[in-house]
Amino acid sequence: MPLDGDVGLLLPEIIVTLAAVVALATGLRPQAGRAPAVWAFLGVTAAALLLLIGEGRGQAVEIWSGTVLVDGFARLFKLVFLVIAGLTVLVAADYVRRRGIPPGEFYLLLLLATVGMMFMAGSLNLLTIYLGLECLSLASYSLSGLLRRDARSTEAALKYILIGAISSGTILFGMSLVFGATGSLHLGEVSQAVSSATGMTPVLLAGMMFLVVGLGVKMAAVPFHMWAPDVYDGAPAPVAAFLITGSEAAAFAAALRIFLVGLPSLRAEWTAVFVTLAVITMTFGNISAIVQTRIRRLLAYSAVAQAGYVMVGLAIASDAAVSAMLYYLIAYAFTTIGAFTVVILLARHQPADEIQDFRGLGQRAPLFALALTIFMLSFIGIPPTAGFFGKFYLFQAAVGAGMPWLAVIMVINGIISIPYYWGVVRTMYLSEAEDRSPLEAPWGLRWATVIGLGATLVLGLFPDALVRVVNAIQVVPGLPIAF
Amino acid sequence: MSFPVAYPLILGAILFALGLYGALTQRNAIRILMCVELMLNAVNINLIAFGSTLQAATAGQLFALFVMTVAAAEVALALAIILILARREKHIDIERVNLLRW
Repeated sequence: MPLDGDVGLLLPEIIVTLAAVVALATGLRPQAGRAPAVWAFLGVTAAALLLLIGEGRGQAVEIWSGTVLVDGFARLFKLVFLVIAGLTVLVAADYVRRRGIPPGEFYLLLLLATVGMMFMAGSLNLLTIYLGLECLSLASYSLSGLLRRDARSTEAALKYILIGAISSGTILFGMSLVFGATGSLHLGEVSQAVSSATGMTPVLLAGMMFLVVGLGVKMAAVPFHMWAPDVYDGAPAPVAAFLITGSEAAAFAAALRIFLVGLPSLRAEWTAVFVTLAVITMTFGNISAIVQTRIRRLLAYSAVAQAGYVMVGLAIASDAAVSAMLYYLIAYAFTTIGAFTVVILLARHQPADEIQDFRGLGQRAPLFALALTIFMLSFIGIPPTAGFFGKFYLFQAAVGAGMPWLAVIMVINGIISIPYYWGVVRTMYLSEAEDRSPLEAPWGLRWATVIGLGATLVLGLFPDALVRVVNAIQVVPGLPIAF
Repeated sequence: MSFPVAYPLILGAILFALGLYGALTQRNAIRILMCVELMLNAVNINLIAFGSTLQAATAGQLFALFVMTVAAAEVALALAIILILARREKHIDIERVNLLRW
């Protein structure tokens, strides 16, 4: 096995890991300043550039005895994770310094979580997917608890690790049953074994159900979502933005691979389960969001609802549905991080956790208020924003798969969601603030907002370019299975 | 092979169910962790039992080794977080950790 070619394919992951270690080392000095953030950002950017222009584009290669797979699907997801990590570094630079979080540890954990996500999307081997998941999970548990003096942060970390450990155990039990029924950990071989042998169907079905439940916890699907609002509300705000977008996208990437590549013969069963979960998740998420008074809990329940929409794509699992799902995940990532930027900006000057604290933001920070308005429009799904096309393609996929009633439920949910998103906008513009001083924005937050806003509008005005990219993505790689 | 593979699998399933039940009902954070360990050990029994009947014995055993390693890391991290809680609040009862409620 030629080592150089293999290592070349993993270079993005290696660069991010090295950047993480360098960030930790520079953070050890007493006067670390900006160095750890700069190193982390450089590492992420270099890895993303390498993915964009590096060698071996357009081919699917499986290396290291089938434990790592590099194909278009993996590349796209890795790029998304790197963009999310880069934006999080921009958002976090000022936050980390003000809140006294040790910068070396913060960026180390952030980048290691990113590497975990990259391995989750870049493998067909259950062992690698599990290790990627744990790398992501362990780093995110620590990230949520980094504000050690803040009781909320500790509580978020405790709830996250206890529920996360239970869900990891469930995923593992499912994997062990799938392994037992098929005799392989490689999803390609799993699907072959499933189609040839029929005697193990009950064991396989049980394994599938455990996998659905375990991954459902990571996706924050109702009724396994209890941790999500607590973690997204209690964790440091940039970490919440990172987890809400990245961790969820990684769970969906792993689910796509496991169910579409490994268990296509149980399609009828898992489609039924995911359709049910999707309907419950979006309806419950939207209805719970209405009664929230804290902005981050509102965004958390909105994230639960969005996970429901994305799960529609996973349930239908046609080519159109998968492309729609990828489009939605990308659009949603930019919009969410953008919205969190405004939340973080406001919380910089005063304790601002309540929606009421957004009073008068229209006068105090006109640009950010306008940006948040557009992000909220994108969440609702109103053109010309990215969120509109994300929902539109999902409707199309649902109708195309002969489930128009699913599209109707999504539209109804869209209508339910208007009041609570719009309530935030109304508070910003129509209520007067007691403190009218303009808000000072550090450049990191400003850039993150501009990037989020730009992407939301560009994806909404010119969706074709990204549609072409996601349409070319194959979840099932067309490669001979390597042994 | 002297006994059917069903025996260890039933043991695994019972252990997993016990662990899951305990993890969902206990209030003491350390006890929840112990129950999670039960679940993970059930997984290991499964992996090794299946591995011994299939041609893929090494894959199962290897996976079990990884599970043990990761479980150790997870427990260490969970204990660290519980320690932070115990120092500040002087208890580790998760029912009383409820600042974050809607």
